[in-house]
Amino acid sequence: MSAVVKTVNLVKIYQDGAVPVPAVRGVDLQVEPGEFVAVMGPSGSGKSTLVHMLGGLDTRTSGEIWLDGKRVDTLSESAWALLRRKKVGFVFQFFNLVANMTVGDNVELPALLAGASPKVARERRESLLGALNLTDRADASPAQLSGGEQQRVALARALANQPSVLLADEPTGNLDSRNTRDVLRLLGDVHKEGQTIVMVTHDARVASLADRLVSLFDGEIVDDGRISRRRTGTAGEVIDLR
Amino acid sequence: MTATLAGSRWIRADLRARKAQAVLTVLTVAGIVAALITAATLLEDGTNPWRSLFAQTDGAHVWLYTDDSPQVALGGIDGVTQVAGPYRSAPVTVAQEGKKDPAALRAMPATPPQVAHPVVAEGRWLDPAQPDGVVVERSFATSLRLRIGAPFTIIALSGERHTLYVRGIADSAEQGFYPQWTPGLAYVLPAMLDRIEPMLGRSEWVTGLRLADPDATQVVSQRVVVMLEDKLQRVYTWREVRAAMELDNRLLGTLLALFGVVGLVAAALAVANAAGGRVLGQLRDLATLKSMGFTRGQIALLLLVEHGALGLLGVALGAVAGWGVTAVVLGATSVAPIPVLAIVAGTALVVLAAVGVPAWRGGRTPPIPAAPALPPRGHLSRLARLALLVRLPPALVLGTRDAFTRRVPAFLTAFGVAVPMMMITIGLGVWATLDNFADHPEQVGQHASLYVRPGRLAQLEPAEAKRIAEQDRDVAQVYPGADVNALAPGEARSVRVRAIGSSTEPYPFPVVEGRMYDRQGEAVAGQGLLDLLGVKIGDRVRLTVGGTPLIVRIVGRTVEPDLDGEVISVGLDSLAAKDSVPPEFYALALKPGVDQAEVRGRLLAESGESLDIQSAVNPADRLSIIRVVIVALIAVLLLISLANLLTASALGLRDHAFDLAVLKAMGLTPRQVMATLVTGTGLLVVLGVGAGAAAGMSVVTGLIDLQGHTSGVGAGIGRAPSALTLAVAVVVAVGTALAVALIPARRAARAQVPVTSR
Repeated sequence: MSAVVKTVNLVKIYQDGAVPVPAVRGVDLQVEPGEFVAVMGPSGSGKSTLVHMLGGLDTRTSGEIWLDGKRVDTLSESAWALLRRKKVGFVFQFFNLVANMTVGDNVELPALLAGASPKVARERRESLLGALNLTDRADASPAQLSGGEQQRVALARALANQPSVLLADEPTGNLDSRNTRDVLRLLGDVHKEGQTIVMVTHDARVASLADRLVSLFDGEIVDDGRISRRRTGTAGEVIDLR
Repeated sequence: MTATLAGSRWIRADLRARKAQAVLTVLTVAGIVAALITAATLLEDGTNPWRSLFAQTDGAHVWLYTDDSPQVALGGIDGVTQVAGPYRSAPVTVAQEGKKDPAALRAMPATPPQVAHPVVAEGRWLDPAQPDGVVVERSFATSLRLRIGAPFTIIALSGERHTLYVRGIADSAEQGFYPQWTPGLAYVLPAMLDRIEPMLGRSEWVTGLRLADPDATQVVSQRVVVMLEDKLQRVYTWREVRAAMELDNRLLGTLLALFGVVGLVAAALAVANAAGGRVLGQLRDLATLKSMGFTRGQIALLLLVEHGALGLLGVALGAVAGWGVTAVVLGATSVAPIPVLAIVAGTALVVLAAVGVPAWRGGRTPPIPAAPALPPRGHLSRLARLALLVRLPPALVLGTRDAFTRRVPAFLTAFGVAVPMMMITIGLGVWATLDNFADHPEQVGQHASLYVRPGRLAQLEPAEAKRIAEQDRDVAQVYPGADVNALAPGEARSVRVRAIGSSTEPYPFPVVEGRMYDRQGEAVAGQGLLDLLGVKIGDRVRLTVGGTPLIVRIVGRTVEPDLDGEVISVGLDSLAAKDSVPPEFYALALKPGVDQAEVRGRLLAESGESLDIQSAVNPADRLSIIRVVIVALIAVLLLISLANLLTASALGLRDHAFDLAVLKAMGLTPRQVMATLVTGTGLLVVLGVGAGAAAGMSVVTGLIDLQGHTSGVGAGIGRAPSALTLAVAVVVAVGTALAVALIPARRAARAQVPVTSR
């Protein structure tokens, strides 16, 4: 099976005045279908930049990006936007719900954008909100929701079009531990259903949920390994070590 | 397009979230458009009454006068759709209160014709049951102070007197207003005219032609000239009638254009500020939309549709409101479609252009939502550093800093205040100029305020008239005078030669350039005449007055409000004796503070009602409609700048919400926070108002003089608003602006903003 996401020697250099600041320096990454990859690293290691480039929010300086077997780094901004509608779902640290729209409208928006009829969009929204226990908040405005609820809505919105890959940038960075647990459980659930996820985090506990851990340091992959998952024993100890 | 549905959802949600702001935008644009349309129509109607009258009367485009009933088929000329008449018309004199006025008595049937039918304004049309009835054209009736039922005594050419009774007063578009256009017009039944003037040789026939294309008058009148040859006495077209009815159109036209430009700029500013502010505040949401798959073009389109729709809705509402107001005030036919359409199209274009820029900018938002709309990092501006140096309170320093963190919006806010303020200053200058006209009529050539004529039929010797005038206790000086028309070389038209006083004892014309004449053969002239003949001060001009040459040297330029400035003024002794002896009239300069009407009444009584006494009409009275326009202008400008300010301060608030929380955490009281915010907006307002007032003051006299120059009155009339007026205007402007800025500031100072937001 071909990789959902593949990068070849991906480089991003920001131009800050006259001084070039490299953020990502030659990353080769391959994400298989159904994989849950956590990208870890300290602040400034380029992990957010990497994920933004994977979703086309930021342009690469050099290198290649492949999505679902197609090369996408050469796409224009508009072509990227069209691609995102069907293939990429985003979850951000600050939720980024459209403040003026109700929770329900926020979730329906991607479906409508992808060309679904209002009826289909509404059905999809109901099933998603139902699955996330948010059915009764559909008419609320995002500002009335707690952080955890907002992030769940953001997740529902990201999943509305059943994207090839879900890109999550510090999805729990702004949540307390209880809400973090809720959101992580949801991520785990969708992963079990076969959703490919790339998640950026600097929290080892959050990263441990993934089945593969990529560590970035100064824009380069310094470690890439599977997290062995056993029913008992040492996996729990790894978590407890923190 | 797949994004249509999603986009419309977003627009709807956004509009719902800011109803008040959206309504304000719509109302501002609607107010501007309505004011523009109302002003345009009022001015159009006030300055060009012909159009409305022509429409009401289904007027004829060409009028021809023949000495016999035309025996040719005028209706057969190409382009002629309908023919009015021919009607027989006889010259008579109307004797009214001792005055005698020339009139044309027109035979008209009892059933008004289809084309060029006078529209009865008061009373009824002619009725065979009342053969002694007469219908008088309105301006003629007004000038003669005729009412329905009043006797109308006419003297036929034979000298015979007839008394008719006024049955109706009607509007007509076939000739200009009396007394500018003589003779006056009155309608009687054909049978009555036969009785009054049985001699057909003493009457003429009047025929009106209505054309399919108003611009074809030239061709049609040439055909008429060829067909009728020597039977034709004269032809005139709607253009001459319209020109005769027009009143200082050039001045008002310029004013209207100025008003229109201001309105458009203001509409653009209002919409651009509203849309721009909204887009800046929405950058985060726009980024989110992009991350979900909206393209750059779609975002721009979305914004263009949303804000453009608000603007266009305002334009539509304003057009309907403006149309409605003018239709109610002036009647439905008074609304001129072309200026209204031009205004609607112009504002719509301007609105879309003004929305286009912020929409395009919004479309270029980077899709990374992590970059929220932060103001550029606040470095202390030089001004803020200065504020810090002179130890201003911290709130003021912070406000000063805030005012300039975003340079472009800061500039736009100040500019948005400065432009209206400049226009207000100019408006006040125009007002001051009009006041100056009214207070100092001698500066516009109206040193004399009464003109006494010995009467047309010379029942009174001119010397007697002069004696009566000189004996009056309130008359300061009596100048003999005469108005004659002179043919200018190379011009197929005549100019007015006004002779008042003598060369050695001249009438005090307001000379603004060169000098006053002081000997025979010298003259002063208005700007219009200098332009018409292409001469300058010091040149000699040769005119022909009734066959006699008049050669004068122009030694000065006067302020000349009459006849588009196409007047040359000389001493009476410069005219040939046949034109100046006896004097046609006496110009009476009154002592200061004397009531004109009282003197007029006394002179009339003294002379046994046989003097014809006219009061000079001050140009300020003729131009009083300008004052209405100025008030409307100021009101609209105020509304616009306040709307702009509200947007600006709301935007400023959004930028600083986070800072404010931090400031509060550092120990600023709510009052200090409020002061910070008000200072931020207020500083820009003060800058804008100051700059606007300064710019206005520096151009106002120049602009009015320029306008005076082009309208023929001549430069030298412009007055800047007085220092006191300007100071009051500035204080009121700044005060209102601060009061408006206070509203959002108060709310913000009390709001609980968590430091951790974002």
